[in-house]
Amino acid sequence: MAKKVIVAKDLVLSYKKNVPIIKNSTFSITSGSFVFITGASGSGKSTLLRSFYGELRPRSGSLHVGGILLNDIKPSKLSFLRKYLGIIFQDYKLIKEWNVKKNVMLPLLIAGYSKDVCEAQTKRLLKHVRLEGKEEYYPVELSGGEQQRVAMARALAHNPVIILADEPTGNLDDYSSRVIWGLLEGANEQLGSTVVVVTHSIPKDLNVPYRHLHIENGVVYEIS
Amino acid sequence: MRSLKNHISLIIPLFAILFTVEFYLLIDKIIKNYEKYLSKDYSIVVVAKEPLKLENLRQKIEDVIKLKEVDSSLVLGRLKQTGIDLDPDQLKSYLPRFYKLYLSSFPSTQRLQSLKEELLQIEGIQRVETFTKTHEKIYKFLIFLNNISKFFLAIILVTGLMLVFKQIEIWNLEHSERMYIMALFGAPFWMRIAVLLKLSIIDTLISTLLVYLIYLYLLNSNYLKELLGVEDLVAPRQIASDGLWLFGLGLFISIFTVIVVSLREPKNR
Ligand SMILES: Nc1ncnc2c1ncn2[C@@H]1O[C@H](COP(=O)(O)OP(=O)(O)O)[C@@H](O)[C@H]1O
Ligand SMILES: [Mg+2]
Repeated sequence: MAKKVIVAKDLVLSYKKNVPIIKNSTFSITSGSFVFITGASGSGKSTLLRSFYGELRPRSGSLHVGGILLNDIKPSKLSFLRKYLGIIFQDYKLIKEWNVKKNVMLPLLIAGYSKDVCEAQTKRLLKHVRLEGKEEYYPVELSGGEQQRVAMARALAHNPVIILADEPTGNLDDYSSRVIWGLLEGANEQLGSTVVVVTHSIPKDLNVPYRHLHIENGVVYEIS
Repeated sequence: MRSLKNHISLIIPLFAILFTVEFYLLIDKIIKNYEKYLSKDYSIVVVAKEPLKLENLRQKIEDVIKLKEVDSSLVLGRLKQTGIDLDPDQLKSYLPRFYKLYLSSFPSTQRLQSLKEELLQIEGIQRVETFTKTHEKIYKFLIFLNNISKFFLAIILVTGLMLVFKQIEIWNLEHSERMYIMALFGAPFWMRIAVLLKLSIIDTLISTLLVYLIYLYLLNSNYLKELLGVEDLVAPRQIASDGLWLFGLGLFISIFTVIVVSLREPKNR
């Protein structure tokens, strides 16, 4: 049986004490799988994803990611865990003071790779996301689709074990969307990364098998 | 433009702190050097019936380091000029002996007074005359400066530290998004605060240089030399080492503040 990389038991998530966003949900995600999380707007999809990278701690129940219990995780251990994650945020979260190249390089710098490796890997990734020639641009000088592709390159730079993407094609042009789905599939197929994607609609022409979790009234259901 | 204002907001309080610390250190040095200079600039004349010995005197008054007999033939020579004809050798035996006395450090007025009394207690000493010169006033003024600089040092240290703290909080806020994003990718603490450390090191360097150059200028200007009436108040070597010391102090203050401010960040990192 494949290893489980994310395991939630009776998970409750909330921002305010008595207002649960995710209620008593139990589910798991196996290593190497491609998972979609769907749900209406405001149903708690981003909230759930946030809990996976330790920004929101479980109110009750338990949550393990990569075998590490996140309930009371220490900052140093969380930093350690995050080095194995590649996160794509709904609002991109690019560092505006840094150019495209340095933004993509961030996880590599954190991992402590040599300058040569950082340069080579960054160059390769920017080619993948079709942003060659824009290395020196700053985020404000890019379109939404381009920014999202930079965020994509950054999330993949260090070959993460788990990729967490929050509506990565939210309101992007077709071209950017195709590039992003292609990269997520590639990371899953070729590198064996576990991919968890929050989306409001599952693309029809996906080439990899996937699972589907759905949030309804705060409860996470395993549809397939 | 905004970043320039930001830098100045840190440079000014750091400058104020370092300037005051150096002021204090420098006055201290000037006083020490000045004391050495002044120690040659007073005189104590002792009139005694019998010959005095340095060792004997030192048993009673420890800080006497030198005793010099004033040649009485000078006195006799002057008497002769007035036309009184006396046998010098005979007269010499009647005359008391004159000595000049030197101390290990510059005596204050009180010390001179007490010294006078102590000397008169000693057998054979008939009279003691003391003179200090005009420099005593400047010396007292230096001591006064030294004392108020302690007071200013305290005030400027407190307000300066508060301003440094405020400015680094502003920086922390300005860079909080970047630091937050770095944390989301697992960057360690030192890497997240690297940008703040870099900024504060640059500003510390600028403040130290400013302080150093201003003092260098002051010490080389004729104004101060003339005021105190002394060449070479403080050797340049002495402020050079102070410069390093000040840079270290500035670094300590700013790095410590960066760490404290950054650690107070919300817990979700
Ligand atoms: N930082 C926050 N503080 C308080 N409530 C929040 C916060 N973020 C989201 N919420 C609330 O949690 C609910 C779910 O939000 P979210 O997870 O962003 O939904 P989704 O991503 O599915 O659209 C919403 O009702 C939203 O108002
Ligand atoms: Mg959302």
